[in-house]
Amino acid sequence: MAGTLAVLVAALAVLFGQNEWEWTSNFVLGGERVHMRLDGLSALFLAIVSVIGGAGAAYARDYWPDSEYPASAARGRVWWNALLLCMGLVLMISNGLLFLIAWEAFALCGFFLITLDNRRPEVRKAGWLYLAASHAGTLSLFAFFAMLAAHTGSWDLGPVRDVPPALFWLALFGFGMKAGFFPCHIWLPSAHANAPSHVSAIMSGVAIKMGIYGIVRFGGWLPLPASAGYVVIGLGAMSAVMGIAFAMAQNDIKRLLAYCSVENIGIIMIGLGAALLARAHGNAAWGQLALAGALLHVWNHGLFKSLLFFGAGSVLHATGTREMSRLGGLWRPMPWTAGFFALGAVAVSGLPPLNGFVSEWLIYLGLFDAATTRSGYAWAVLPAAILFAIAGALALAAFLKAGGTVFLGASRTKAAAHACECGAGMLAPMGLLAAVCMLIGIAPSLVLPAIARATGSWNPAWSSAGGAPVSTIGPALLALAALVAAAGFLLWKKAGANGLRRDLTWDCGYREPTARMQYTSGSFAGISLGWFRWIFHTDFKFRRPRGPFPPGSLRIERFPDTVLEWIVVPAGAVITRLSNAALGLQHGRLQAYILYLVAGLATLGVFVFLEGKL
Amino acid sequence: MSVVRLLLWVALAPLLPGLINKVKAWVAGRQGPPVLQLYYDIIRLWQKGVVLSTLASPVFVLAPAVAWVAIAGAAFLVPLGPAGAGLSFHGDVLLMIYLLALARFCTAWAALETGSAFEGMGAAREVSYAVLAEAAMFAAMLSLAVQSGSVSLSGMLSPSPGAGTVLLAAGLFIVLLAENCRVPFDDPNTHLELTMIHEAMVLDHSGPPLAVILHGASMKLLLFAVLLTAAVLPLRSLQPLAAAGALAGGVLVVTIGVGVAESFLARFSFRRVPLLLTMAFLLCLFSLLVAWKGGAA
Repeated sequence: MAGTLAVLVAALAVLFGQNEWEWTSNFVLGGERVHMRLDGLSALFLAIVSVIGGAGAAYARDYWPDSEYPASAARGRVWWNALLLCMGLVLMISNGLLFLIAWEAFALCGFFLITLDNRRPEVRKAGWLYLAASHAGTLSLFAFFAMLAAHTGSWDLGPVRDVPPALFWLALFGFGMKAGFFPCHIWLPSAHANAPSHVSAIMSGVAIKMGIYGIVRFGGWLPLPASAGYVVIGLGAMSAVMGIAFAMAQNDIKRLLAYCSVENIGIIMIGLGAALLARAHGNAAWGQLALAGALLHVWNHGLFKSLLFFGAGSVLHATGTREMSRLGGLWRPMPWTAGFFALGAVAVSGLPPLNGFVSEWLIYLGLFDAATTRSGYAWAVLPAAILFAIAGALALAAFLKAGGTVFLGASRTKAAAHACECGAGMLAPMGLLAAVCMLIGIAPSLVLPAIARATGSWNPAWSSAGGAPVSTIGPALLALAALVAAAGFLLWKKAGANGLRRDLTWDCGYREPTARMQYTSGSFAGISLGWFRWIFHTDFKFRRPRGPFPPGSLRIERFPDTVLEWIVVPAGAVITRLSNAALGLQHGRLQAYILYLVAGLATLGVFVFLEGKL
Repeated sequence: MSVVRLLLWVALAPLLPGLINKVKAWVAGRQGPPVLQLYYDIIRLWQKGVVLSTLASPVFVLAPAVAWVAIAGAAFLVPLGPAGAGLSFHGDVLLMIYLLALARFCTAWAALETGSAFEGMGAAREVSYAVLAEAAMFAAMLSLAVQSGSVSLSGMLSPSPGAGTVLLAAGLFIVLLAENCRVPFDDPNTHLELTMIHEAMVLDHSGPPLAVILHGASMKLLLFAVLLTAAVLPLRSLQPLAAAGALAGGVLVVTIGVGVAESFLARFSFRRVPLLLTMAFLLCLFSLLVAWKGGAA
């Protein structure tokens, strides 16, 4: 805790101060000097690491205590701190080789945290999937850093000019695997759903941002291919819509939140793509707006997504289930958790006056400004803006579904009816994050210098604080918040003065409504899911009621991840089959091995012979 | 000045549903309720007590207030011809759209509070159809922004007549019908049917909260009517008096149009609702393309 506080102070000092921090030690590791640098961009990411790291550590004291998890609680604390340390190192190290080491250590810490509860098979499965996906990305990063070093002749990182632009694609894939944009998100839903909730919070709120950090960082340093902006903006738009469509389909609340992270990564990438586009075409001012929005969204998403995961964790802690169709009416036993979750839901839907709106508004503003120029290269912002709008409206629907099904209405099961509010140790971190969400919403000018500093360190032409729009929206949002509070108070007073009476929910005169008559999360999502049937491969079980006295009917729908189960798994099966076929070559018969040797030598001989001829 | 403007919005809004009902009555050959009926309803509801569902939290009462403030705030941003907007800045159009989204979120949240199947249905429909309506709205606003080269409502709403304007007007009219739950998307006359959207969401409200909801809905209708008029008529180039007359006339025409559409159309089956909304989106998209290409030529 004290450590995260110190790191936060350091990060904020860099963000709001003038200096960059640079430190080169004489300590040699792997033949390279340890070289660290903390500039505006890394400080921005470091600040969110420290905030969520601190809040999560506090939350875990009550959520994953020694008394309930004697085997894994201490282990969890160790890996938690190691994860924070490694993320800090990733952000600060300015040497390719050491960066890779820190990156790998960071990925491994994530693995051990996800599999804290390693007795459950689905947790182990999620952990292995995470590890495999993470290493697929790391492999690409190994190639990327090695080729970078080969071209520049040094492992030192910094702006480079004379390297082939195609290297950017390696970085995009490698870091994108961690960031989890669609379709590289395959590991994300299961890992985030099965990890303990404080781990989900930091993985979803912060760890995937390390991938974004990599893309932003090297998008700023490398010479880029001409199509980079278009590809990033396209991936972002696809990720935003697909992520939220899959989120809408989920019944597991933590899976829903995980898919929503895919959407938010998409939003960040839309902003980043617009910035790349603008920088490739003469540093247009709208690029700065989009980049500022994207970077602010990194903070905002970290804050409200951690808040929502903490809320989901409290629900899981109190009821023992993540399935929304078994919950309901939880606002009565857990009013504080419900309130914080509702606030997070408003923020994540990008509604004013909370923080999600400010960053999404900045990105939209960048896109709209780009559209008004009518430049030939800016056409990509039109579909991006419209898809972004669709994703925003779907996010609103998805979070109404989540909040409404879990916290409102009547309890659907006994577990939900007998839940009780979690302790202050879990509520306090949620309250802190909620307060920061509100603060950034009503006073965005406070964080503006930090964002301007980060955009400036990404592109020196954009160091001027493009703050005019933000300084106008801030007071408007503040006034809105005040008016909302006043109007709510007045109406409550008026209703109280006129007399309040409680009665049953009105259901066509039927006096015995049961909890099973409520609208379920599946039916709530039904209409909009129909539009995405082409991408879902739904598992569908339906037993119709038959006969005059039907024994019971059921209808089960499951929405598996299409990319994972229909592309990656079949591809993996093909590779396994090929490998198994190759295994046939190895059978322990010495004669055959000698034959291989002779044949190999003969082929080599023929090659050498032909080479000599040519 | 801004207080007068807000009062004007608040005072005039409930007139529109009354006018629509009068038009419908005339077409049907009935006398119909008085034009001021909604005022009477709101005043009466404001004085009544509240019946709360046993399942509902205090948010059930607070949410209509938040939604009303959001709609009033959005209305405050809409410029009235040469009088300009109450508050105008770069990007206010996005704030307007998101304030309407906030109002939708609050109404639907309150609907889910009661645990009623009807209200769940209404909320699900509202937020699902809003996805398409919002896409159409964004395409429309983008086309206005591209056409005028400005991203604030007072700069954007200075249309130059052309083919794009006709497409835009048609698209925005459909969005108006959908967002305000008029026929053919919804029927504001019926109560308690399985096919409703907005009315189904507010079934359990009563007393002052219901009054606030009804007033907010009428203000939203007026907002869309003003927006549609200002997107079609070049109000800013007229004299102040003429502009005020043109605006009032435009809103009146839109209102009568809604009434006539409601008299001659039946409500669509729910499967066809997304089709109609997609058509609105395509109309707005084509107007956007016209605006984009118009600059290149």
